[in-house]
Formats: sequence, C-alpha cells, structure tokens
Amino acid sequence: MWRPSADARALHAAQRGDERELERLFRAHWARAYRAAYLVVHDAAAAEDIAQEAFLTVIRTLDRFDRSRPFGPWLHRIVVNRAIDHARARALRGEVLGDGPEPAAPPVDGFDERLIGGLAELDPEQRAVVVLRYLLEYTPGEIAALLDLPRGTVNSRLRRGLDTLRERVGEEIR
Amino acid sequence: MRFEAPHEREAEKRAWLVVRDAYRLREPLPAPRRRLRPAVALAVAAAVVACVVSPPGRAVLGSLRRAVGVEPAAPALFRLPTAGKLLVRSDEGAWIVHADGSKRLLPGWRDAAWSPFGRYVAVAGPDELAAVDLDGHVRWSLARPAVRLPDWGGTRTDTRIAYLTRSRLHVVAGDGRSDGDPGGRPAAARVAPAWQPRRFLLAYVTTRGRVKAYNAVAGTVAWQSDTHFPRPSRLEWSSDGRLLLVVTHGKASVVRDGRVVAVRSGRVTAAAFRPGSHTLAAVRRHGGTSEVLVGPRVVFRGTGVFEDISWSPDGKWLLVTWPTADQWVFVRVAGGRRIRAVANVTRQFEGGAFPKIAGWCCSAG
Repeated sequence: MWRPSADARALHAAQRGDERELERLFRAHWARAYRAAYLVVHDAAAAEDIAQEAFLTVIRTLDRFDRSRPFGPWLHRIVVNRAIDHARARALRGEVLGDGPEPAAPPVDGFDERLIGGLAELDPEQRAVVVLRYLLEYTPGEIAALLDLPRGTVNSRLRRGLDTLRERVGEEIR
Repeated sequence: MRFEAPHEREAEKRAWLVVRDAYRLREPLPAPRRRLRPAVALAVAAAVVACVVSPPGRAVLGSLRRAVGVEPAAPALFRLPTAGKLLVRSDEGAWIVHADGSKRLLPGWRDAAWSPFGRYVAVAGPDELAAVDLDGHVRWSLARPAVRLPDWGGTRTDTRIAYLTRSRLHVVAGDGRSDGDPGGRPAAARVAPAWQPRRFLLAYVTTRGRVKAYNAVAGTVAWQSDTHFPRPSRLEWSSDGRLLLVVTHGKASVVRDGRVVAVRSGRVTAAAFRPGSHTLAAVRRHGGTSEVLVGPRVVFRGTGVFEDISWSPDGKWLLVTWPTADQWVFVRVAGGRRIRAVANVTRQFEGGAFPKIAGWCCSAG
C-alpha cells in the first residue's frame, strides 16, 4: 500500500533526478486525481487535461516542494480547484453535455451510473465537496482546509448535494 | 465510493509520457554556491592579477587554456569542427559554408532554409521565393510580394515549403507547384513556420500569439496552443517531432500537442533542441554577461551578447554566435569539452551586420 512517507521519499528522489521514483509517484496518484476531475467535470478529455496539468504543476514546482507537507492533499487541491473552474466556465458558456457523461467502467462497491449521473446535476462546488468526501475520503475539516472554505459551508454543501443525489438515486447515501 | 472513470488507463499512459517529458526538460535549481572566505578570495584575486600582468603568467594562462580545451580564436573559419554544412545570412545574401571552410554566396537573398536533406536551399528575396542547388543554380522561382521566412520540410519523395507574405501563410510543393494560402488560416506572426520532421504538420504562430499545427495534407488544424506566446522569435520541433520549442521574449517553452509541458525562463534569448534528443540548449543573459546552458549545465560564458545557437547535425558541437566579440564559438559538449573560436566573422561574410545562422545541416544527403 502506498503511504504518505513513500510520497516524501519518492519526491526527494525525484528532486534529485530519479525518474523511476517520479513515475512511482505518478502511478500512485494518477487514478484518484483523474477520477476526481472526471466526477466534477463529467468529461473524460477535460478530466485528463486537468489531472495532467496538475502533475505538470508538480514538475514545475518540484524543486521548491516542501516534503514535510503531504503530497496527496496538495495535488487534490489543484485538481479539484481546476475542475471547479472548468465546470463553472463551461456553465457560463452555456455548454451542455450531449448525451450525458460517458459510461464508467464496471462499478465497484455500488457506485453506479445513476449516481454518476446524479452528480452531474449538482453545481460544481457541491460536486467537488461530494467527490472529496466520498471518493477521496477526506473529512469535512480537511475539505474545508483544502478548498479554503469555512467548515459550515462544506457541511451545508455536502448536505444539499446528498439531498439532491438521494432524490435522483432514490436510496440512502451515508 | 469507488469506481473507474472512462478511458482511465489510456489517459494514464498519455499523461505519463507528457509528465515524463516535462520532467526531463525541467531546469533543476542550481546547487548552493559555496562562498570563499574573504582571505582566500583576496589571495586568489592577487594571484590572478600577478598571472595576467607578467609574461610567465600569460604563458601559464595559455597552458591553462589548452588544458581546459580552450584554443585561441582562429583568425578565420578554416573548417567546421564536424561534418555538415552551415547556412548563413548576411547583408550580402545567403552563404553556404562547407565542412572544409569553403563558402559560396547566394547573392541578394534575404532569408534561407535548408531542404530536408540539405541538397537544396529555399531562398526568399523581397518579392521572390526560389529553390537553388548548392552551386547557386536556381531550380525554380515564384514571384510573390513581400516573401519572408521559408521553411522546407517533408520526406525524400515529397516535400513542401511554407513561407509568409506579409502576414499570410503559404505552402508550395517542393517543385514549386501548387502554391496556395492554406485554407484562409489566421494571419501569421513574423516568425518562420516549422515543419514537423518527416511529416506534413506545420507549426506557425498567429498574429495573436497562438501556436497552431496545420495538417497540410488534410487541410485541418491538428491542434492549437492553449496559451499565447507574445513576441515569438523561433519555432523548432524536436527530431522525433513530439515536442515543439517556442522561443519568445525571455522564455523558451516546450509544447506537446498544444500544451506547454516545460518552460525555461530567466532572460532566455535563444534555444535549440539537441538533434536526436529532447535536451535543450539555451542562451541566457545575466547583466553584462551571457551564458550557454545544455540542460542544466553551463557550457560557455562570455561578456556581452550571444545571439544564435545552432547544433551540429551529430549533436556533438554547438555553434554560439557572439556579435560583441565578432566571433563564432564552437563548443563541443560530447566526448570531452573543447572550445574553438573564430574571429573576424563579420569581415568574412563581406561586412555589414553580424551574420546570422540559418541552419547547420545534414551529415549525409
């Protein structure tokens, strides 16, 4: 299992030019970054751009990165903020998703297409909070710190988001 | 809540290649500088002064120069340090400089570019585009108003020349036929377009500073950059055609499929990809001095301005033009460092302005 201390070691090695360790770090974090972006923007190409751009930010700031800070939350903060910006911009341009989000790979642990479709009906800020809470498994306090929001705002977005999802999916979401 | 997003693995593969390239191109922070103690520094300075002012001291410096591979500047360009031939632009026209140092003037042409295998040169005058062979014979020409900045690309059997007329982009076949303004493309900035090696994908910069890759076969735009590049001065593809270098005022950006994957900043005035690799050489100014970096390593430093850099076709030598000293400096960066300088460059190309390098081409061809 990949652990935060492994991140720090990989970062240190990557700072010294070890490409294999950089790849290890990339592989350990890609899926979660890409999935989080996808669940906020509901567009695979945009999600790829967002996650890739977040990793390019890692490369650009690699030498200055403070290894005492956890890497995952830092990366997720970039991904989710960019994803929110992207979704907002698309909403402002009045873009709509043609046939809804692309079908995901076979669901695991009951996360099904109806739920993904329901997420698309939330506004981007609510989507981001739900994704951070239930996909990336951050606590509300951690989400508040990640997004620079008051904890109460995080809780209310979560609550409203879950209410909307419950209506859409018609089953209990804890 | 767990799931797998669509196209996750393909996206991962693509993204890793981009991230890996960006990592290979990144500029690591310089190592912390060790400070000499004041007394030691004073002693070193005194020793250097003593060396320079005394005749034995000058001899010591001479042997030191030789020991580190720096030869005194030759009074003329007797030969190139390695295979290939140079294309040079001066006030008199375009020059072909062969490996043995012999030169041929193609008089009156303002801009010039090698054909993909170095057998011909595309030249542009005020109102004419032409293809000439290495003896200067015109193979064909095309009268067009305000022709500038040709670039010749393609394969051994099919080639195209891209050029600008004022701010319009044109493409003509390598035999001078089928000249056209490709599909009413947006106006192009005054920087030479660049063909992707061995393919018909043409990179150019619009007057609004966006880089576009135009597929000259399909007549479509393959991609456009997601950022703007103000004041571009050079476009160049890596040998494998995967990366595009965009040099702008003070910065060199590396673009892949329209996205910037690496930036080298800090008063960069020129840059070039090493043939066969993604390594960048760059010229950077620091106050009154200039330096040449290959990757993160400084390989040459001097007072004043370095203008152009150009790699030898084998990727072992780097030509640095140094107008402040009226010199060209050849720096060997593979197989042991060596520096060969050539003085009196302006006079050798018939005076006027300091000549510019248009390309160092093709060991074979």
